[in-house]
Amino acid sequence: MQEMTLLQTLLIATIQVILVVTFVFIVVPLTIFAERKVIGFLQQRLGSTRIAGKLVGITALQNRAMWAMGKFPILHYFRGIPGLAGDICKLLFKEDVKPAKADRLVYLIAPAIAMVAAVMTYSVICFHPDPLFTIPASLPIIGEIPIIGGLPVSGVIAEVNVGLLILLGFASVGVYGIVLGAWASNSKYSLLGGLRSAAQMVSYEVPLTISLLVPVVLSGSINFYEMGQLTTLEMSPWAVPSLFVGFFVYMTCGFAETNRLPFDMPEAESELIAGFHTEYSGMRFGLFYLAEYINMSVVAAIASSFFLGGPWLLPFGLQGIAWDFMATHAPSLVELWLVKWIMAPHWFYFVGKIFTLLFVFIWVRGSWPRYRYDQVMAVAWKYLIPLTLVNLVAAGLVRYFA
Amino acid sequence: MFKSQEMEINMGPQHPSTHGVLRLKLRLDGETVKHCYPVIGYLHRGVEKICENKAFFQGQVWTDRMDYCSAISNNLGWAEAIEKLFGITVPRRARYLRTMLNELNRLNSHLLWLATHAMDIGALTVFLYCFRDREKVLDVFEAFCGSRLTTSAMRIGGLLEDIPEGFEKMVKDTLTDIREGMLEYETLLSENRIWLKRTVGIARLSADDCLAYGVTGPLLRAAGVAYDIRKAHPYAAYDEMKFEVPTKTEADTYARYLVRLEEMRQSISIVEQCLGGLPEGPIMAKLPKTLKSEVGEVYHPTEAPKGEIGYYLVSEKGGVNPYRFHIRTPGFLNLQAIPLMVQDALVADVIAAIGTLDVVLGEIDR
Repeated sequence: MQEMTLLQTLLIATIQVILVVTFVFIVVPLTIFAERKVIGFLQQRLGSTRIAGKLVGITALQNRAMWAMGKFPILHYFRGIPGLAGDICKLLFKEDVKPAKADRLVYLIAPAIAMVAAVMTYSVICFHPDPLFTIPASLPIIGEIPIIGGLPVSGVIAEVNVGLLILLGFASVGVYGIVLGAWASNSKYSLLGGLRSAAQMVSYEVPLTISLLVPVVLSGSINFYEMGQLTTLEMSPWAVPSLFVGFFVYMTCGFAETNRLPFDMPEAESELIAGFHTEYSGMRFGLFYLAEYINMSVVAAIASSFFLGGPWLLPFGLQGIAWDFMATHAPSLVELWLVKWIMAPHWFYFVGKIFTLLFVFIWVRGSWPRYRYDQVMAVAWKYLIPLTLVNLVAAGLVRYFA
Repeated sequence: MFKSQEMEINMGPQHPSTHGVLRLKLRLDGETVKHCYPVIGYLHRGVEKICENKAFFQGQVWTDRMDYCSAISNNLGWAEAIEKLFGITVPRRARYLRTMLNELNRLNSHLLWLATHAMDIGALTVFLYCFRDREKVLDVFEAFCGSRLTTSAMRIGGLLEDIPEGFEKMVKDTLTDIREGMLEYETLLSENRIWLKRTVGIARLSADDCLAYGVTGPLLRAAGVAYDIRKAHPYAAYDEMKFEVPTKTEADTYARYLVRLEEMRQSISIVEQCLGGLPEGPIMAKLPKTLKSEVGEVYHPTEAPKGEIGYYLVSEKGGVNPYRFHIRTPGFLNLQAIPLMVQDALVADVIAAIGTLDVVLGEIDR
């Protein structure tokens, strides 16, 4: 890579940050909308269907036309989308109530910590292996205006060797937002929620980290992109069970880390009212809310890139195995363009896997009750940690012998 | 500098899962409940005193508003108590219809219980499935008496009106839907590991404690005592019905869940028996223009979905209203047992205990 001046680096970073934040603020509202719709579907109701009547005139017209033709207006189903903007507006304009005896400073920065920690994890997530595009050397307006040119904008903001460590680090900073917010609210329910979440998230970080060590051990790298590539393409068949178990443990911990059902102890609506954010209102609550969904998408992105084969089709390292198998036993098959096309990396495989995992998050929420607090801890310490340790040893053996 | 202390926390009266305005003063050691003190009375309206100042037939609307989830059971007990006081014989058709409505009401109440209980434990989908089916029962009530919640369905001496046209089919469809719906709830809950972990062995209340505290209904039956007033002291047309009294011996939250589900199945069967053998005839007994009482007193217990609801009436000579009126509501006596049930349990178990008691504060505070 060519040497860049500080100004050029900053320029590129700014562009990347804008792109990533845009991506986050598209994916997160869509997840929220999907959650409403999927939960609605599971519970035999429509989910949010209001608001778009005036705002999106076209759907309204189409709906009317479809009713007139005697068909059920499918588009009616998506009319809740502008409601997301409405939600944000409502949160922004709502009165920001602070409890009288709250610790003011901590109370104010706690949601910011939660939100920043969630967004920062995106800095090391690799969206695209190659540069996304190159800033041209000059702009083709009247004549050629020269600008700082020829710069590639890569698909990851911080191309660091220790991407995984940064990711885990920021994931554990997130708990401070919750604990501090809970403590500063000066409410007993918040305090209970904060205590629960501190214990829960600290406990679940152990199996989460160990389960992520499985691909690290198997691939021998902690660079985000390399790990994904190696665990998908270069695995021996013996590594498949390890990755499989690692995936399930990781997803279980992911549910706990993002405070989703069946592990939503910190909130536990029916017990602690709203847990750590009982006293928060307006956009400060909104930040906690957004952070949860950002964390969900991060967990889904990590799981799909390390365990489910990222932009390749087959999960758990089966991609490389299947390709080798075909190359040795059916070389003619490998030559077919369709097979080549299917087995090549595509971004929509990656996105599809992320969306599938997000769907699983919502699906679980729709079907399962909530664990009790001590049972949650028992799951982590009695089952998940021994399981991941055994799994890690197995992965080490595979790495050593195969 | 550091010391540990027990935390006092007020659960309610404004709390998502205290089912209204129940207030529990909890003293917690960490998350363990060391002491629980229920505070009631936030919904007190003085139903009994009001009824003493109303004519006999005017009391019904107040019984609607006690346990607002099972208005018909309350109406039935009230009507039968007054009929007992005046020695009125209710026509057989009216008794059958009353039985049928009462059992539909039991389905309604148990569906609401399952919905809220499951939601307290976190199963939101079951909540909406139950409400979907409860809606149909409420539609049946609406078709019968025009009202969905506060039905005022009974009259002293019988019923106001006969069933409308197409009512039988409507009820049959509802029963089919509920039967199918119950399969769904059981798929989602009965063998769900988390549900089992949250309910098995939680909030136990032994048969001796039940009897000592006067706890009745599904809680008593889940402790192994087969006491059901429909069998023990039959009223309405229950002496002509074939049904079983489900019991369990575990006396925990899960046993109560199973008992209530089995009760729902029995209720469906009773409604079907009523529909099948519905006799022809009048629906109203011949009554004098005004009810003037003699000196007397009467206690009439009936089996409401939540337990024994008893109406105690004292009348004076020539009175047009009760001299003394007292209602033994099941929720009030069941709630007494909650400190026993949650002693040394966790906060989450308190929620399960409130859910399994099936409290409705309207009848507790009256």
